[in-house]
Amino acid sequence: MIARSDIREMDNRIGAIKEAATDLQKISLGIQAIDRNVERILATVAMLEINISDVASMHREERFDS
Amino acid sequence: MNLANSNAAMDKEKYWNPILETLPGEELEKLQLKKFRRIFRWAYEHSGFYHKLYANAGIEPDDIKTMEDIGKVPKLEKTMMREVQAKTPYPYGDILCVPLEKVTEYHQTSGTTGQPVFQADCWQDWELSSEQWAYLLCAQGYRARDRVFLPFGYNVFIAFWSGHYAAEKLGCEVVPGGALNTEARILKMQELRCNAFMATPTYVLGMADTAVRKLGINPRDLHIEKITVAGEPGGSIPSTRRRMEEAWGANVFDHAGATEVGAWGYECQYKSGLHVNDAMFLVQIEDIETGEVITEPGRKGKMVVTSLDRIAQPCIRFDSKDIIEWSSEECECGRTFRLLNGGIYGRTDDITKVKGVLLAPGAIEEVVRSITGLGDEYEVVINKSRDISDIDDIILKVELLPGLEQVDSIKIKLADQLRLKTNLAYNLEFHNYGTLPRYDIKARRFKDLRHKE
Repeated sequence: MIARSDIREMDNRIGAIKEAATDLQKISLGIQAIDRNVERILATVAMLEINISDVASMHREERFDS
Repeated sequence: MNLANSNAAMDKEKYWNPILETLPGEELEKLQLKKFRRIFRWAYEHSGFYHKLYANAGIEPDDIKTMEDIGKVPKLEKTMMREVQAKTPYPYGDILCVPLEKVTEYHQTSGTTGQPVFQADCWQDWELSSEQWAYLLCAQGYRARDRVFLPFGYNVFIAFWSGHYAAEKLGCEVVPGGALNTEARILKMQELRCNAFMATPTYVLGMADTAVRKLGINPRDLHIEKITVAGEPGGSIPSTRRRMEEAWGANVFDHAGATEVGAWGYECQYKSGLHVNDAMFLVQIEDIETGEVITEPGRKGKMVVTSLDRIAQPCIRFDSKDIIEWSSEECECGRTFRLLNGGIYGRTDDITKVKGVLLAPGAIEEVVRSITGLGDEYEVVINKSRDISDIDDIILKVELLPGLEQVDSIKIKLADQLRLKTNLAYNLEFHNYGTLPRYDIKARRFKDLRHKE
């Protein structure tokens, strides 16, 4: 059984990767080599969100509801 | 490494993602509701087609609060997708939720039931597709040490494209057997000592036949340990599975998916039925006549499925026409993903009334392939009798293996088993081995000509 705190921690790191990738895109000067590779990074991050962050956010909502 | 660490390591290898695959059923349901609401809102706000569909039905995103509310959402039929794709903007109509410049992949359905449906995917959806396949390949025992052969045409049909990328994701060495003929594929598998491959049941049997008849190679002498099948129900038809496993001396695992939907179901190494990937799909079974949602095991109905994460061309409450039933068993693998009994029994489209009796093509396949002495291929033709009676006439064409001595007993056994399993009498035609059509991808063995003349 994986602890909720571990899932939360993983989710935090996933959020940080997403933020870093998005920040990089903002300063890319429109360079395709950056923009397109960031697109790919973000698609992979979306898989991490599906695998981890969706569960973490469900746990957060449960805490909020109760 | 101590025992506790070693068990933990084995557990990590057993699951692609233990967090989702062992999530208690109650939490999986909460996750499905959360994700259904998200994809519904996304489609409502970004796709002209979905917006109109839901607005006309008087349903908005905030109306979905419970699992029961999902039943109010109109179902999506394949014909609706064909209709919208016949309109501008070409070629997808207004079904997409992303601008065309975000679309990076094109595929299409096989067109077995009519005009193919075009499937647009953005890069994230393409990642998703291989992610879904990673769940199933991991459950079927694919590991980084495997060398996996992909004997398919790498073209517009989705086939095993995602299997290729998922195997890479798992760290397997992937050998693309695209533009090779069957003999060359077998020889390449032999040369490289590939230990796994993926194909339709028809092609798995066809390759074994080619290996024996044309190359003089016993497929059991290759090094195949596991085969993943998809695209036809055969993987879950016991006699077809037995033939494949005996021919190759390998474990055969079934997988279910569709171009429009994704890879929604798979067998794990325990082969206790198809697991539904409940974290990425919402599968519901509806009574074919009444539409009532079936939750109890052992009652057949048609599948209505939602792909919960697909964003470019979403697939929400898709009426797949596949006939399935829930299992009452829990799988020993420890996954909490729900199990289906047996797999896909057939499609509501294929089940047809003949002489007043409901006939499922899968039942004929089960009989033909359970009889030793008959080849793997067969063909069913239903037509009206030419005489004055105008009654339905079923012709079943089968092949006899060469060198048989007990031909009469095989003929009697076939007729008896067919009558027993399908309650129908057939005009049986026995053909020489190798004379019926062969197929590389999806076979078309069932021909109902009654309404076509």
